[in-house]
Amino acid sequence: MNLKIRGKLDQVFTAATGLSVVLLMLILVAILGPMLYRGGNAVFFQGTVEFRKMQRDLFRRADDTTLNAEIARTEEFRRQVYAMIDEFKKGVDVEALSDEVRELHRRFGEELRAKDVPSEQYSQLRGLTRDIRDNLETAFTKRDVGEIRPLVEAALQHAENPAFKGTSAEQFFRIARSFLATAEKVDLNHQREYAAALRDVEGILFHTQDLPGLLGPRPDEPQPLLVMLRYGTTRWDQARRLLDRFFWVEEWVEGNPGQPLVMRRTARAELFPESFRPLFSYVRDNAEKMLEPRFTAYWQFFLDDNVNSHYFGGVGPEILGTLFITVVGMLFVIPLGVVSAAYLVECAPDGQVIRIIRMCINTLAGVPSIVFGLFGLAFFVLFLFPLLGFEPKPCILAASMTLAVLTLPVMIRASEEAIRAVPRSYREGSLALGSSRFHTFVSVTLPAALPGILTGVILSLSRIAGETAPILFTGAVSMGDVPRSVFDPTRTLSYGSYDMAVGDRLAMMVPHNQYGMVVTLVLLILILNTVAIVLRTRVFKKLRGQ
Amino acid sequence: MSQESQDMQTTADHIKKSDVRTTVAVTPRKAPADTPADEACECAVIRSENFCLYYGSKTGVKNITMDIYPCSVTAIIGPSGCGKSTFLRSINRMNDLIPHVRTEGRLEVDGHHIYDKRTNLVNLRQQVGMVFQKPNPFPKSIFDNVAYGPRLQGIRRKDELQHIVEQSLRGGALWEEVKDDLNKSALALSGGQQQRLCIARALATRPRVLLMDEPCSALDPIATAKIEDLMGQLQGTYTIVIVTHNMQQAARVSERAAFFCLGELIEYDYTSRIFSNPKKKETEDYVTGRFG
Ligand SMILES: Nc1ncnc2c1ncn2[C@@H]1O[C@H](COP(=O)(O)OP(=O)(O)O)[C@@H](O)[C@H]1O
Ligand SMILES: [Mg+2]
Repeated sequence: MNLKIRGKLDQVFTAATGLSVVLLMLILVAILGPMLYRGGNAVFFQGTVEFRKMQRDLFRRADDTTLNAEIARTEEFRRQVYAMIDEFKKGVDVEALSDEVRELHRRFGEELRAKDVPSEQYSQLRGLTRDIRDNLETAFTKRDVGEIRPLVEAALQHAENPAFKGTSAEQFFRIARSFLATAEKVDLNHQREYAAALRDVEGILFHTQDLPGLLGPRPDEPQPLLVMLRYGTTRWDQARRLLDRFFWVEEWVEGNPGQPLVMRRTARAELFPESFRPLFSYVRDNAEKMLEPRFTAYWQFFLDDNVNSHYFGGVGPEILGTLFITVVGMLFVIPLGVVSAAYLVECAPDGQVIRIIRMCINTLAGVPSIVFGLFGLAFFVLFLFPLLGFEPKPCILAASMTLAVLTLPVMIRASEEAIRAVPRSYREGSLALGSSRFHTFVSVTLPAALPGILTGVILSLSRIAGETAPILFTGAVSMGDVPRSVFDPTRTLSYGSYDMAVGDRLAMMVPHNQYGMVVTLVLLILILNTVAIVLRTRVFKKLRGQ
Repeated sequence: MSQESQDMQTTADHIKKSDVRTTVAVTPRKAPADTPADEACECAVIRSENFCLYYGSKTGVKNITMDIYPCSVTAIIGPSGCGKSTFLRSINRMNDLIPHVRTEGRLEVDGHHIYDKRTNLVNLRQQVGMVFQKPNPFPKSIFDNVAYGPRLQGIRRKDELQHIVEQSLRGGALWEEVKDDLNKSALALSGGQQQRLCIARALATRPRVLLMDEPCSALDPIATAKIEDLMGQLQGTYTIVIVTHNMQQAARVSERAAFFCLGELIEYDYTSRIFSNPKKKETEDYVTGRFG
């Protein structure tokens, strides 16, 4: 009976421990899975032709012949979009039309003067185009087709005039006809609304003042200054989001009184007259042909510098900076930690002193990291550097030292445990052979404690590579060159992630880069840890004689 | 002639008169010296006079007066906690590591008072090697373990080190077993091999005295027999002091034996006499198994 219960309890215990392990794995997968997936998006994605253009221009990486063929193919499909928009614009954007006819009139005058026509004929033709211009301009201000038609027809009666053949004046008639055609199809009372809606569409398709669009700038417009505006969407997932915005207008409207606002989606096509709506179905059918998405493995993400605060490019300099800070930090932590631990175990007198020291170390371990950041700024940058004759500015050295102070308690405690765990008999054996205490520590105790010390190294490594707050004021920047020495500030993965997270709406447009940076940090720490763990295992095996 | 050897002589006289008792079922390895002249020619290597050691206010050993003779095995026996290890560790000043330790009296090795301020600890410990209860090879290769002492003495030349390592391992009766894998970790050896390695390691500094604190208590009988054999071989060259509470072992390996009780030296004599004809009541109780 008693035995039976005990057996049952054992089974329950086994089951419970097994279950908890499974649970832990699930939690890990639940946390890491989505993050890895999103971060993986930075490297693996459907890249569009715009991505390949960008890679060619910014990173000199392209197969020119295929890319040129691609560009030609996609341009073919895009031209239709440009034409449809231009056509519609003719009808609705009356200010632009007025400008154009005025410009035509002026240009026609210049052409006549260039041809040296007799003054009589000159003034007659000028008078004619002036009339045409005035008629058209008046027509542009009208809303009613009944009023517009006579005005346009008055202008068109000169269309057959041989004097206008082959001159800019021919343009008048083209404009006049298309305007009349639009006026017959479109309700011109909504002109202004159409113009505004068209501007939105152009913003989404090409680009706005500060945001890139689906296709990038039209080939006939001057290159935008901002690099990111020079390309359309480089990724198909982004393109899909933009297409969604292209097809649907979202607005928050009041639902039932007193209730929260509700989102209403309406088709953007409905904002336009019937004649313009084919554009939407055209884009829907041909979006892929205009962008040619293709699976891309962007390994260079880990090497490339970024462009326009991480809108394009990778995290190469951030990785380098993180490694730099970590290595310099470890150069401080390891010796300091081991020496302090050695003092605590081997030399310190028992009693009050050691209790106070240990209390200080434990307190230090609990101090919030931002406090270390401010301490680093105040002590290393502003106090110590001027004292040593360095320029008092944030730099890798200051950041590494601050991080070293931050992780020192961890390192000391791990090393202390490790050194304490070395059997007394090793020490006695060495001392009995005539070794000094120092030599015993260096040649026997320390090697035997190495696995434990490496555990401390692993713990502080992750901390140093991952902390943000301590380097906020002591050495991290969000932009700048790759550091050349420890006296330069640097970009790091941790600070970069933070910067992007709190940054402008640009960062929100490139979540893949944001997650990519975070995942890179996780991977980097994982790799560093793996190296340390492998090292520890080998040391351990060697000590054990296996 | 010291007070001590006179004591011994009287003990020797005493034993001749009394009948030999065989309470311990072992045959003594050596017959006691018959003539006083035999003893007179022996000049003690370790000489303790009224030596006391205190752990703070607690007494470790007190008033130990005894001479330990060269090229022989001297056993220290007694119940646990009686100060055997304390006295043994005093001989190479291993007790210095323990805080609040205080000593009184004289303890000479080769005529030098070792608790003198001018004593060179490094020299002392190389003169007086030590083997511990639990085998404690360093987590290094076999070669590095044995070469540890010579390297401390400043020997750096590879061939010289190799020679010393081989000699010491032969001395420790381990050479034949490990000569092919000197670079293997010492921790991969068996317990008995490890203990012999520790002996070899101690021999590598060419000591005069070898202190052994219960060197076989962590070993199986076969390994113990090997170590005891080894001691037999070594005693011609080294002065060996061994702490043991295995009385058969003391009888087998030692020439002289000292019985400690409660921090004091009760009786010190030839091993055969200690076992067959002890002078003191406590000794007799202990060796006959009535006490301890
Ligand atoms: N480091 C120490 N601190 C205080 N007392 C000790 C210490 N080492 C041993 N002692 C005490 O000294 C006495 C003798 O110990 P020891 O020499 O180890 O006995 P044993 O004969 O068993 O080897 C014991 O009572 C022990 O409690
Ligand atoms: Mg003991």
